[in-house]
Amino acid sequence: MTLWELHKGGTANISHLCEHLDDSVSTRLVEMGFETDQYIKCLRRSIFSGPLVIQIGDCVYSLEQALAEQIFISTSNNN
Amino acid sequence: MKKILLVGKPNCGKSLLFNQLTGLRQKVANYPGVTVEIKSGAMGEYEVIDFPGTYSLSTMSIDEQVAVEQLTLRVNDDETELVVCVLDATRLERSLVFALQAQLLASKANKPIVYVLNFIDEVKRFGHNIDIDGLANELGAPVYALSARSLDGIAEFKNALLNAEYKNFNPLVPKIPLETTKEVVDFSRALAKTYAINKDVVLKNQNKVDNFLLNSLFGSFAFLAIMFVLFQSIFTWAAPLMDGVETIIAGMAVFITQFTGQGVVTDFLNDAIFGGVGSFLVFVPQIMVLTFIIGLLEDSGYLARAALICHKPLSYFGLSGRSFIPYLSGHACAIPAIMAARTIESPRKRLITMMTIPLMSCSARLPVYALLVSVFIPSDVYWLGIFNLQGVTFFGLYMFGIVTALIISALLSRSSITDHEKSEMPFIIELPSYRLPHWKPLYHRVINSGVQFIKRAAPIIFMVAVGIWVLGYFPMNASLEESWLGSIGHFVEPIFAPLGLDWRYGIAILMSFLAREVFVGALGTLYGMEGADENIAGLAQNIMNDGLPLGTGIGLLLFYVVALQCVATVATLKAETGNSKLSWGLYAAYGVLAYILAFLANALI
Repeated sequence: MTLWELHKGGTANISHLCEHLDDSVSTRLVEMGFETDQYIKCLRRSIFSGPLVIQIGDCVYSLEQALAEQIFISTSNNN
Repeated sequence: MKKILLVGKPNCGKSLLFNQLTGLRQKVANYPGVTVEIKSGAMGEYEVIDFPGTYSLSTMSIDEQVAVEQLTLRVNDDETELVVCVLDATRLERSLVFALQAQLLASKANKPIVYVLNFIDEVKRFGHNIDIDGLANELGAPVYALSARSLDGIAEFKNALLNAEYKNFNPLVPKIPLETTKEVVDFSRALAKTYAINKDVVLKNQNKVDNFLLNSLFGSFAFLAIMFVLFQSIFTWAAPLMDGVETIIAGMAVFITQFTGQGVVTDFLNDAIFGGVGSFLVFVPQIMVLTFIIGLLEDSGYLARAALICHKPLSYFGLSGRSFIPYLSGHACAIPAIMAARTIESPRKRLITMMTIPLMSCSARLPVYALLVSVFIPSDVYWLGIFNLQGVTFFGLYMFGIVTALIISALLSRSSITDHEKSEMPFIIELPSYRLPHWKPLYHRVINSGVQFIKRAAPIIFMVAVGIWVLGYFPMNASLEESWLGSIGHFVEPIFAPLGLDWRYGIAILMSFLAREVFVGALGTLYGMEGADENIAGLAQNIMNDGLPLGTGIGLLLFYVVALQCVATVATLKAETGNSKLSWGLYAAYGVLAYILAFLANALI
């Protein structure tokens, strides 16, 4: 499943980033903490499919649907 | 002069640390292409250079690229003694990613690096202690824990720099800088696990405030309330300051012209210098007030939330949540607004934002609106019994500008004009901790905004004022109608006839293509009135007596909402986009669109 499907309060681990993502975007995402196995929590969803708010590591980010759909997560081995 | 480079991630408190180290005097250098401000200030025998915060050294937006290129250049400079990398002690993991990249950059240039652990007071308040020596050994470089806000550890750090104490540091194991992103990210995560404060403790308060400010209902109210205060501040708080500037300029005019006597010199000083250039200086306080409020919002952490709230609605028009701030600033002045668009990561959205900012009703349009609204709208009529009709009309004009900008943005994002900027950078923004803004960086920011505005626009306004004055003044002793400018006015009269306007409006409009605030003054002079800027009601009466039809008047108003009548804005667009054809093309296109709207209003109403 993708990060976009994570409901408010839901937690997961990053599985991988979509391979079609531009190199500079995926590098930046990794630097921001979006790397395999990182624990991620959805803090807030906005109305009308607006950007979602997530916590990853020690940071809180807001990202739009188009990007959240490129980030794959697994909800099996949460820590 | 020996140099110390200050680097770090955004929101790590670097600007405040820079101010605490260097005191109140600082220089701001702007780099062409895209405006990236690099500040420098003196600390003892050193020059401290403050680079803009970037998330990493692999760049995404154009402003980051310029900043990183400059940083690489300066690190390799022989005069550079040291790199100081600022870390946010409350967000250690993310700060360390940048820190390790900076370490590699410094080591390649054979320059030492030291780390500053800022916000250490907050970490202590949460009851956590960071093992500074342990972290320094792991990083292989000295680490100084301090708080730029509470001044904890600042004096010690300053001494360490001035006396080069950092050279005495010997790590237990020499550190080999990490090369790949994966190595850097993994090591940061491992270090954070050992040394960082529990993230949930830090984020708890932030999340509590966000629950309110990002709530669909309360959050929207809060957003509207903040925007209302911001608008009020631009127009009401700035008013006494603007009056002050006007009084000073008038005083200076009286003082100086008493020495020049009657004649060409006095006329030139009065009309071109104090009248022309002076009328533009009146807007400086407004820009400074706007910068102050936006600075407050940014430093407090709210601006990122505003961008988040606006992202979805703006995305329908091909814009980003980050376009919101430039649009907002555009209501004071398009020049700082266009510069503010540099934070938009997507080059295409940045271009579209910059191209549509001139449609926001900037303060230079205010006198024009005020004049024409008072001519056509009675002051004592109330809409629905509550809203003054003049006020409603003002609001309508502002909305007309915003709606036009959104429609044009939507068209541009679907057209091929912006195709060369096709690369799409998705919207992702960090929501920083809420913090009380500190006055020092704010103070510098406000002063700089005024200085930069004057530096950028004054030369053009000066040339325009002189040019128009010469055309209107000569041949000597002729009336304005017989002057060179008058002849031009009669020559162009057929162009403005379809809009229902005579030669006087023609001249006033032509003159205002250089700067729109000239319109009222020019029309005043053409109606044979002295000091029309201050006496809008008197001029309005004259125009009313002249019998300008309602349709023509509405057409004229719409013309002023849409037309890009500001050479300084075109110059800024040219500087920021690096595209002269596009900037002048836009100038012409908005002129044509304005003309069509005015024609339709005159014909149909």
